[in-house]
Amino acid sequence: MAGRRSRLELIFDILLAIQNKGGRIKPTHLMYKSNLSHKLLNMYMEELLGKELIAVEEEFHKRREMPSKIILLTDKGSMFLAEYRRMREFTDAFGL
Amino acid sequence: MYQLFFTPQWFHGYDLIFEGISLIIALLIAGYSWKVYRMSKENKYGYFAFAFLLVAFGLGLKMFTYSVLYIENLREAMATTLRPVMGGTLELADLFYRAAFFLQMLVMLGAWLLTFFISQKSRQRLHNYYEVSQMTLFVYLILLISFVSNFKYSVFYLTSAVILGLTVLNYFKNYLNTNHNRNAFLVMLSFMLILFSNITFIFVFLWESMYVVGEAFLLLGFLLLLYTYRRVTN
Repeated sequence: MAGRRSRLELIFDILLAIQNKGGRIKPTHLMYKSNLSHKLLNMYMEELLGKELIAVEEEFHKRREMPSKIILLTDKGSMFLAEYRRMREFTDAFGL
Repeated sequence: MYQLFFTPQWFHGYDLIFEGISLIIALLIAGYSWKVYRMSKENKYGYFAFAFLLVAFGLGLKMFTYSVLYIENLREAMATTLRPVMGGTLELADLFYRAAFFLQMLVMLGAWLLTFFISQKSRQRLHNYYEVSQMTLFVYLILLISFVSNFKYSVFYLTSAVILGLTVLNYFKNYLNTNHNRNAFLVMLSFMLILFSNITFIFVFLWESMYVVGEAFLLLGFLLLLYTYRRVTN
């Protein structure tokens, strides 16, 4: 069984979930995809918004006739994902 | 003037270039590991950066000591600087070389030992008290070995070879654990070449040219590390 995810792994999982959905995802879907509690996801989202790795957009919902939130992956977020992959290659190679 | 062992005259200077290249590569790896540490805040990356910084420092110390030995102008400049302390006596000049070699060996052995500890799989090892006490014992042994090596240089290379041998074994396990990852294989191969260089240095007393072979292995090992570093960071 895999151990507890580190802070960096959690951030990677959140950003990867958004990227896998084409760079746009609903908060509820993100919660399931990243396997995090509502409280923990909000905490990490605040951090990611602060670091401009993600952005939040309001989208008008025709059927419900009210706006709903959409989370977007920014360019900085995509760059972070690429850098994280390189870091993981490095740590795997050196057995860290 | 005191020397650990005699090296081929024609090779003087080339070895400094070899060590210089290796030093830059060690600094590159230390820098990248530090970057990973700053992003993740996980200690193991900080320790790894420190280990490679020590490797670079050890190589730098070796370059400095050998430069003083090889380059007459630099030797004169050093003698002028140290004359007020040394009083110009030959014994104290010897003491300078012995101190420099001691420091160089201490730093290199410390670096290889730290690399070995980091290459061990257990993640909590540096938090456990008994591991820390083991490390204290190792630090004492390294101090002792660095001192003894001043009189019998091969002890240093033999100890380095043993530590590097165990590190290669850890990297082999890592290669198997990562589903035969090619980069993990290259890292293992790099450390194997550095191990070969240390084994070769043991036999310099038999044949001076072994020093050239050892330096070539060392350079190849670091160049392979650079190649792996470029592969993973590009």
